[in-house]
Amino acid sequence: MRWLEKATEMISRRRFRKGWLAFIIFFFLVFIIIPTVFVLSYAFTNWGDIQSTILNDPAEMQEIWTAIANSFEIAGIVTLVDFLVGLPMAWMLVRKKFRGKEFLDTIIDMPLAVPTAALGFSAAIFWGITPADLTNPLGLNIIGSPFLLIILLHIVFSYPYMVRSLAAILEQIDETYETAGRTLGASKLTVARTITLPLFRAGLVTGIILCFARSLSETGGTVVALTTVGAQKLFYTAPTLIDEVKKNSITNPALIPELSFISIILIVLALALLAVMAIIVKRAHLPIRKIWPRPEKILSRGLAPKAKDFSSILFLSFIVLIPSFFIFTYVLTATPSQPMNWGMFGEALLYSFIVAGVVTVIDLALGVPLALYIARGRSKRLPETLDILVNVPLIVPTVALGYSLGLFWVGGQPVSGAVGIVLVILAHIAFTYPLMVRSVTGAVEEVDPVYEETARTLGAKPVQAFRRVLYPVISSSILAGAIMAFTRSLGETGATRAVVEGANTAPNFIVNLVQAHDYYSAALACIVLIVISYAFMLALRYVVRKRRGV
Amino acid sequence: MPRVELKRVTMRYGKLRAVDEVDLTIADGEYVTILGPSGCGKTTLVRIIAGILEPTEGEVWIGGREMRGVPIEERDVGYVFQNIALFPHLDVEDNVSYGPRVKDLPREEQVQVAKRYLELVKLLDKMEMFPSELCGGEQQKASLARALATGAKLLLLDEPLSALDARVRVDLRYELRRIVKALGLTTVHVTHDQEEAMSVSDRIMVMRAGGVVETGTPEQLYTQPKDIFTANFVGETNLLEGWVKGRAEGKSLIELRDGSTVEVTECGHKEGDAVVISVRPEFVFPFTDGLPSRVQYVTYMGTYWRVVAQSRSEDRVEFDVPAAEGKLYHQGQEVYLMVNRRAAVVYPRPLEGIAEAVKLE
Amino acid sequence: MPTIKLEGIGKRYGDIKAADGLDLEVRNGEYLCLLGPTGAGKTTALRIISGLTKPDKGRITFDDKFMNEEEPENRRAVMLSQTYALFPQLTVAKNILFGPDIRDVPDELKKRTLAEMLDLVRLAHRPGAYPKELSGGMQQRTALARALASGADVLLLDEPLRALDARLRISLRQELRSLVKSLGITTIHVTHDHDEALVMADRIAVIHGGKIIQVGSPAEVFDNPISPFVANFVGQSNFFVGKVGAKREATEVRGENGRSVMAQPCSCREGESVVVAVKVGNTEISKEGEGFFEGRVERILFEGRNLHIDLEVGGLGHFAAKVPSWRLGKLSMGDKVQIRWSAEKASVFPVPPGGLEEELRVE
Repeated sequence: MRWLEKATEMISRRRFRKGWLAFIIFFFLVFIIIPTVFVLSYAFTNWGDIQSTILNDPAEMQEIWTAIANSFEIAGIVTLVDFLVGLPMAWMLVRKKFRGKEFLDTIIDMPLAVPTAALGFSAAIFWGITPADLTNPLGLNIIGSPFLLIILLHIVFSYPYMVRSLAAILEQIDETYETAGRTLGASKLTVARTITLPLFRAGLVTGIILCFARSLSETGGTVVALTTVGAQKLFYTAPTLIDEVKKNSITNPALIPELSFISIILIVLALALLAVMAIIVKRAHLPIRKIWPRPEKILSRGLAPKAKDFSSILFLSFIVLIPSFFIFTYVLTATPSQPMNWGMFGEALLYSFIVAGVVTVIDLALGVPLALYIARGRSKRLPETLDILVNVPLIVPTVALGYSLGLFWVGGQPVSGAVGIVLVILAHIAFTYPLMVRSVTGAVEEVDPVYEETARTLGAKPVQAFRRVLYPVISSSILAGAIMAFTRSLGETGATRAVVEGANTAPNFIVNLVQAHDYYSAALACIVLIVISYAFMLALRYVVRKRRGV
Repeated sequence: MPRVELKRVTMRYGKLRAVDEVDLTIADGEYVTILGPSGCGKTTLVRIIAGILEPTEGEVWIGGREMRGVPIEERDVGYVFQNIALFPHLDVEDNVSYGPRVKDLPREEQVQVAKRYLELVKLLDKMEMFPSELCGGEQQKASLARALATGAKLLLLDEPLSALDARVRVDLRYELRRIVKALGLTTVHVTHDQEEAMSVSDRIMVMRAGGVVETGTPEQLYTQPKDIFTANFVGETNLLEGWVKGRAEGKSLIELRDGSTVEVTECGHKEGDAVVISVRPEFVFPFTDGLPSRVQYVTYMGTYWRVVAQSRSEDRVEFDVPAAEGKLYHQGQEVYLMVNRRAAVVYPRPLEGIAEAVKLE
Repeated sequence: MPTIKLEGIGKRYGDIKAADGLDLEVRNGEYLCLLGPTGAGKTTALRIISGLTKPDKGRITFDDKFMNEEEPENRRAVMLSQTYALFPQLTVAKNILFGPDIRDVPDELKKRTLAEMLDLVRLAHRPGAYPKELSGGMQQRTALARALASGADVLLLDEPLRALDARLRISLRQELRSLVKSLGITTIHVTHDHDEALVMADRIAVIHGGKIIQVGSPAEVFDNPISPFVANFVGQSNFFVGKVGAKREATEVRGENGRSVMAQPCSCREGESVVVAVKVGNTEISKEGEGFFEGRVERILFEGRNLHIDLEVGGLGHFAAKVPSWRLGKLSMGDKVQIRWSAEKASVFPVPPGGLEEELRVE
């Protein structure tokens, strides 16, 4: 295969490598970073508009600040709860051996497979007090406050992020430290508190950021849940407010300053808060010096740890899993009010899958090289900077991201058809690309560079060393990143609606049905989407596991 | 009362017996080393004593108490890990005072105890440093101080010197024994390094493939090993294949493969038995008469020359010549080799063959 | 097989000088051991030769050809790391054939190379095994076969025996050396173990603080060390500090308390402050007879072949000696013995500027 040889030869030439790298970085900056924060420039170009329409209107300001406050409060509580409950679960997954562990491992990820719009509906009819035609005999229907309902909803899909992040950190902490602590006379609880937790800290920031940002971003599920309990005009989170204003701004362009203002505030606050959190978590002297040997010993043995594990599983089942799948009982017990438009739903599904597919492919082609560059370039300035920048689209709430991106490419004008699908794809690339990069960076950093180095001294060019030595080891992480990107894109609502109002994605389809009170059709659509997403994810997980076994 | 007693301790992983019915009694204040090649089960055994692993069968007694069901933190045992395991987020003083801190001693006493042991290992000036700022030997000393500061009477050392440079190892092992004896501790030391084992131990237990080969003092294992594996593993030795030809007053005569004979002290084997003679290089010397052999190569060892020869009986024989005598031997040269009769030990020829019986991995 | 030259190599990592004016010449086909303590810069030197690390300054040449800008894959200098770095997803056979696979060698030749290599390292019975199924020694031999099969001219061994059991190391030393020598490849073997270097090397280069301190045959480096550091690192030495007295066929060095010892002839002046170094193995002790001074037996350590004797000498600190084990019954703790050595075995050095203790420090 002479052309393969020639291609390898060409790729290995330094100039080509440099050119390719430049292109990757260019793509990252121009197609992802700049569009994400572009809306910030609006503050400078149209400050006057903002001042006149918003800053001088106290009622509007009140509405905006309330929505933002709601979002941040919810995100904060959700993150805290996730941490407190996710930590024992992560501990179980990493440190303990028991039958059914693989099963537990799989079901923890289940909420990730469910598009949040579907989750919103399912959670609302389980927890919330709904109008009579929706009330289900099996539901709890006890939560009257929208605030509480949204918190419960957000916990469902952020829980897996937290558990996975914590588990990843825990895996990296050498168990020998804990054993050493015990040989020095410390009970298991004391060891966890004084040795493991402090070592946790560096990686904890990641888990917290991911969790917080995810809750802050969430649009689809929140809109659906609020609509289902009839609170969509009473209670706003920042993303739902943006969503509504965006919808209205199509007919009323005077709302654009407000739209931009909320987006700007949201972005700035999110970035600032998370930067501050990162610093606090790194510096705070969390572990108290004092040790109480007797009580800690008692808590380490016998019933207490078993109760802790049991309640973790209980929490997982009740707060996370059951609400996710409650929709199935609704479909079984309720009656349809209108026939389901399967044709349109089919189109919406196709649209979503095409977008997710294209997004994933581009993420792979352009994200993996950047990840390699960052992972292998530690301690050099450019890779380090890029590493920090990669987090930006993750932190910026997707609805603001979508709006900003739309502003960048088409000046906020309504679009349709081919241009529309391209914009949606670009928007989805923006927040899935970091997931891919992080997954691959993490995997590459765990591989000792000595393997590739040895391969090079054996005569392998860098591309050959990558293909034969590094790639086989990280291929499962690349696949995992691809799965994450795909399912994330499939489930996204906020960004899609913010960039192209009438985009015919499956989640959008569901939101529209709920807003039109066609609950039964919405439920059917949810179920189809859940089943497809979950089957897809399971299949890919199976492939990943098989490969990892070699 | 013996400090440690192991009775038929076994550890099974499926069909594999990592530790196979090990019996061991360690007296109070004794320094015992468990010596063996990688994978022989020595680390598993010491982890069982510490309580990190629970044995499949057998009993572990420490200080007169049976330890089944007793968790690690209640066994009152100090443990030094092979990979050191100093807590990276605590400085040296906090690391060493962790034991006292866990017992909820007042802060001043914690610091006092830490200082006492840091002084013992001569690391007092590094108290405020973090583990990453110390070099290998210093880290291991800090790790030792930390284990000692718990006040435990039993100290378990899991290959404590393996990660260190050769030079640092030699210096540190003398320190180890000195400190441990000064404090009157009972010590179980695990290693694959036979030189290290011989220089620090009161007694050595040789392990292989999960089982105990033999136990004895360093001198016993070196001069009179009961098993051929020990003969080859503890120190170097020459192994000569032959048969018992005859016995005379206090002597046995062994015939080798080429018909030459070697005299050894009475070995208790009958005429015609297939045997192997083990004799260490320092007890073989060139003479005017003896085993005809041809020099293969010569290596300069600093204070002596090591000569490797092949005897006519197809045995590899190594012997040493003082450096002062200069390089008298060269490749291809013919020599006659005598064996010190009293230093030779005779073993029955192993059924699986000599190579299998002494295999190191 | 090229002659490798490193001239004036410098390499910094932040504040640490991994290489500081390093000069080294490795001759065609020779087996050179780069000997030094951890942190001396041995691995850095090896990485610079292989091309994995670029020096901040200095030149590298292979047979006088300037190599600084050459990529690792073009240097034909193969590296064998401490952990062997066997590719975990490939079998023994595929690992060994990695080099030939990359170069697209014809199948016939590949089969022959594989058979030769498996025979050479005694692994003909395990070609289909995966690295994690092999013992330490077998992994090492696989890594070696892989390096040799790549057709490289230079073999760079980074502490190749370190990960093995002590007893196994002793057995494999000769095997590794004869294997490599039979193929005539220029080899640079990095180690911290001086016994290993003495047994395996054609020449030893002692490295410390990023510089080559001394290069020579094992005998030269052992018997004629160029500095107290080398004297103590290549085999432990005893040290005696004093002023040069009479200089005849041997040098007399006078210490405090009227003690004096004899040493090799040296180029030092009368009255100069010097350090005398004599190997522990060349230090003799006996209960009767005459010696340079008296010492008290503080500790006797059984090492198998020898006894290591620690002695306390009033005013001079600690001395050590080795005696054959059969003398075990004849010496006990607290015994007073006479300490002496042959003059020609003792080296003389000027007192190091930073002090003797600083000079001898290994870590």
